[in-house]
Amino acid sequence: MMSQLADKHADKCRFCWMCRHLCPVQLQTGKEVNTPRAKALLLSMVRRGKVYDESMAEVMYECLLCDACTDNCATGYQPPLYIREARTEAILNDLAPKAVSEVLDRIEQTGTIYGTEKKSYGKTGKAETLVYLGEVAAVAVPGMAKALLSLLDKAGVSYTVLEQEPASGVMLGDLTGYVEEVRQQAEICAGAINGTEAKEIVVLDSYDAEIMVQKYPEWGIGLKGTVVTATAYIRRLLKDGRLKIARKAEGCAVYHDDDRLARTFQEFTEARDIARELGYELVEMFHHERLAKSCGTSLAKAYMPELVKRIAAGRWEDMLRTKAEIMLTASPQAYECLAETVPEGRKLVDLFEALDGGCV
Amino acid sequence: MKGKSFMSDMIRFELEDVVGRENVSTTEAERATYSVDYFWISRMWEDRGAEGPMADVIVRPGSSEEVSRILKIANYYKLPVHTWGGGSGSQGGALPMAGGILLDMKRMNHLISIDENAHSITAEAGMIFQQLEWYANERGYSCMHIPSCLTCGTIGGALGHRGVGILSSRYGKIDDMCMSMEVVLPNGDIMNTLPVPKHAAGPDLNQIFIGSEGTLGVITKATFRLFEQPECRRHRGFMFPDLTAGLEAGRDIMQKCQPSIMRLFDEAETVSIIKKIIGVEERGSFMNLTLEGIAKIVDIEMEMVIDICVRHGGRDMGSEYGEKWYENRITFFYPDHIMDIPQMFGTMDTVADFSHVEKIYWAMKNAIESNFPGVRFIAHCSHWYGWGTMIYDRFIMDDSPEDREEALRLHNQIWNTGVRAAMENGGVINDHHGIGLKLARLMKEQYGPAFQVMEGLKKALDPNGIMNPYKLGL
Repeated sequence: MMSQLADKHADKCRFCWMCRHLCPVQLQTGKEVNTPRAKALLLSMVRRGKVYDESMAEVMYECLLCDACTDNCATGYQPPLYIREARTEAILNDLAPKAVSEVLDRIEQTGTIYGTEKKSYGKTGKAETLVYLGEVAAVAVPGMAKALLSLLDKAGVSYTVLEQEPASGVMLGDLTGYVEEVRQQAEICAGAINGTEAKEIVVLDSYDAEIMVQKYPEWGIGLKGTVVTATAYIRRLLKDGRLKIARKAEGCAVYHDDDRLARTFQEFTEARDIARELGYELVEMFHHERLAKSCGTSLAKAYMPELVKRIAAGRWEDMLRTKAEIMLTASPQAYECLAETVPEGRKLVDLFEALDGGCV
Repeated sequence: MKGKSFMSDMIRFELEDVVGRENVSTTEAERATYSVDYFWISRMWEDRGAEGPMADVIVRPGSSEEVSRILKIANYYKLPVHTWGGGSGSQGGALPMAGGILLDMKRMNHLISIDENAHSITAEAGMIFQQLEWYANERGYSCMHIPSCLTCGTIGGALGHRGVGILSSRYGKIDDMCMSMEVVLPNGDIMNTLPVPKHAAGPDLNQIFIGSEGTLGVITKATFRLFEQPECRRHRGFMFPDLTAGLEAGRDIMQKCQPSIMRLFDEAETVSIIKKIIGVEERGSFMNLTLEGIAKIVDIEMEMVIDICVRHGGRDMGSEYGEKWYENRITFFYPDHIMDIPQMFGTMDTVADFSHVEKIYWAMKNAIESNFPGVRFIAHCSHWYGWGTMIYDRFIMDDSPEDREEALRLHNQIWNTGVRAAMENGGVINDHHGIGLKLARLMKEQYGPAFQVMEGLKKALDPNGIMNPYKLGL
């Protein structure tokens, strides 16, 4: 059923309880099946003769692939590795939950999880810098996309955005596992990016950045330019004096580290530096940086909206135990998830939009 | 729950009416998940492709009132109820051996209050203990209950099996830390123990339910002591010529000072632990020790400890070994660092006073090694008192029999032999892992006529015998 590597990881995790306290899905549902060890145990049972059925497939989708478990493992085992492969099996055997199949249909029909084609933010012409916005910002959080581009305009950066920005492959990869179609999406995306001859690719959504940096090279897909996260790029513009803050922001804020910036890129200081320069008084939630609790993902929200709402509310609870009145995020996916459950008297602020408002 | 025709659906509907449809499950995936806990036999059973014990229905309560209503339903239909916290117990205590209802408590994971005046913290019992510790840490405190299963087990689980953490020699076991509890009795009544743990109002009800392993009711809330974080925490390592010298030093230290951590390894375990920590082999009996609290007091205590250890033949190895052990204290429990199938292994932790402890160690070691060739025996003492210590004896067999019945039989023979050797020489059946299914058969041997006190309690509180059948010998 699964690769030897995935089988090995599952067999090692099946009797290990060490990371279960970090699973944001388990913390909200209280279900034992929502622990990495339970998912591994079920897959090890399947390898030993149990039938992989719809109830098991459903369990494999009750996971955000946030990597909190992987990051915690002292030995280096990776639950998302076998969970992704189990999703592939679910799709191939027509066992995936109905809501998942519907998202898959939407991707096939429109290219996005939303069932809406990506709006074009294209800016014609070749330039040394390409901005890759990703489908979440383009469709669901347009304010963040516009703010990022506006900041680049203000800094006088010569940049381009693809007229028809192809999917990076991250959504399909997380939904179906890394099947051939995902690799093909990645190839098309890389081809379009390479066609611009950009030397630097500024990626707004850290999930897109991750697949470009980690999976593309594994699949032999080369990007001519260097991938830079949007937060790191904007921080550089501020540091170089190309962006000037004219109006300071006010208030006490926490910064929510999104899953990929926190754990894949371990980028903690850039967004915080931007927030401080902008004038926010920053305090920390207890779980921050690598230990940051996921607030959900746009993909998971597309097929299990109610659960993601509870998970996002859980992140707000973390914030409510601080003195902050503002939650800052630089992730379109985090923004989309958190926006639905903002507690009374608190504010969710898009860091790019806040900076754009403060810059001349 | 195999009632005739649609009876099981009728019962399921009643349960759904209490907790909501989304919190009742009979799916294969959910039921199979609860068929394996940390107990070696359940793991081996799964590894050999056999089906483990399955509950008929999984129920996830969200409040004490819901637990109460579930127990009333279970009592009416005489359905077994197995309470599951983290499922990380090593004694098979949470396994649904009798089918029926499995009560997964983890929806009840809310913090209720922190009292900074009384230094106490109250939470629902389904909370993973690490979460409770984090809530305490957020305010600058600690519960000081830091077991290796900190991230795996729940508050209810720690209380249910009388758990202990690595700092116990200073801060005590879970039964010293718990101030009060809310318990749902098998008949559905919700009761509270007295608000404080010290009084002269009869026997301490806390101590009846702590260690009861879900056989007398369901612990739903608990209040624990909070401690201020220590001003300093200092580690030290010592090498003794043998276990005897180390035990003498340990006794002397505990009767004069109050270390938080003190771990004394026998000569067999010393070889591997030292190699794991610093990568070289050393012979002898290694002790790592930690003192903590107010710096001035710690300095004086450390002087006394060094003096005691040297007097008993110990070589001062400085702070590096203790620091490295402390840094790696959790790493030891991740896959590839800890024993796993196909090895057969077990921890026969026992506890005794200083007059008996070394005799017990040798009796257990001889009994295991002479009766079971190919089985290794290692031990350390890691939870100390002014009167004695526990011994964390472990047996390890690298290749267990492939046939599962044969493996089960051999496993149980080793356990009977080791634990009987401990009990016959003045030790107690278990120190801090509990009894569960694994040791249930030996409880009457341990207690003798005193066991009727427990049987009487069980009969009075749970006349239908629905609560966690086959566990604790009840």
